[in-house]
Amino acid sequence: MKTVEDDDNELIAAIQRGRKTAMKTLVERYKRKAYYLALGMVGNSDEAYEISQEAFIRVYRSAKGFDLTHRFFPWFYSIISNLCKDTLARRESRESREVDIEESEFLLVDKENPETKMIKEEETKNLRKALLKLDFDEREIIMLKHFRDMPYDDIASLLKIPKGTVMSRLYYARKKLAKVFNEIR
Amino acid sequence: MKSGEDKYRIMLSGYIDNELTPEDKMELERHLSACQDCRRELEAFNKLKEVTGAMRYADIPEYVWENYWKGIYRRVELGLGWLLLSIGVIIILGFGLCALVQKFLLNPQEPFLLRIGVAAGGLGLIILLVSLIRERLFAYNRDRYKEIRR
Repeated sequence: MKTVEDDDNELIAAIQRGRKTAMKTLVERYKRKAYYLALGMVGNSDEAYEISQEAFIRVYRSAKGFDLTHRFFPWFYSIISNLCKDTLARRESRESREVDIEESEFLLVDKENPETKMIKEEETKNLRKALLKLDFDEREIIMLKHFRDMPYDDIASLLKIPKGTVMSRLYYARKKLAKVFNEIR
Repeated sequence: MKSGEDKYRIMLSGYIDNELTPEDKMELERHLSACQDCRRELEAFNKLKEVTGAMRYADIPEYVWENYWKGIYRRVELGLGWLLLSIGVIIILGFGLCALVQKFLLNPQEPFLLRIGVAAGGLGLIILLVSLIRERLFAYNRDRYKEIRR
């Protein structure tokens, strides 16, 4: 049976043959995922949008060199992740980290439960600040598990680390997040 | 090697994510019944999961998604435009430089002092450019983030 990965690689093969429509299909398939992944890592919607588009442009430019025996998504993810690291490094060099934390707007409370809205809004704000105080690797794994709900096997394949490392990295990231979150509250 | 306590603490993550084997789960539950610190940590993790579970990513307007592909297409087009422009400018400048050397700097009919002046100005410009490039490369070598890329 054909899988999504097979489909992705067929699209890459078509891009390698110069089919522009294949690129468009790939963009339509992954644009939201790329944006939300970047958003979780950089915490700013404008930058996340820019990063996601740049990631597709890099896929387009280097598609010819892509080995079709590999899976597309881990490669695409590593492009997004590197672009996010670049963005955060640039931001730190501008020494505007605090400003970005305040302006960050990447999470919203589910408003289904209006009576707890005020408490939740405060909690959201605190969690947002706490998340941005984590190191990149910590925030990345929290984002993949808590906000993308990915199984450990998928995270391991994406980050190219053993499943046991996923569990331990998640433990230390959660421990730090819980600590920072409680300090802020 | 991890101590027994560390092993159980790390397993807490697998426990709340339902990623432990049935044997590991039973072993951890036995440990939890006897360890208050681990129970407290498990509670903190469950609380964290509850808080993050109540949140979702902020949506962006649908029209932004509708124009997404056009944005990429425009950026690729712009990139190609800049590339072609750069190639063109480099060729024209190279050609101009050759013509300048052959027809002006090496032409004995032109005033000697003027040729020296133009040569000195050109050389100065090249030194400035090389210096700028070197400075950029130096800054790159000191970039503490380039090592952390996977």
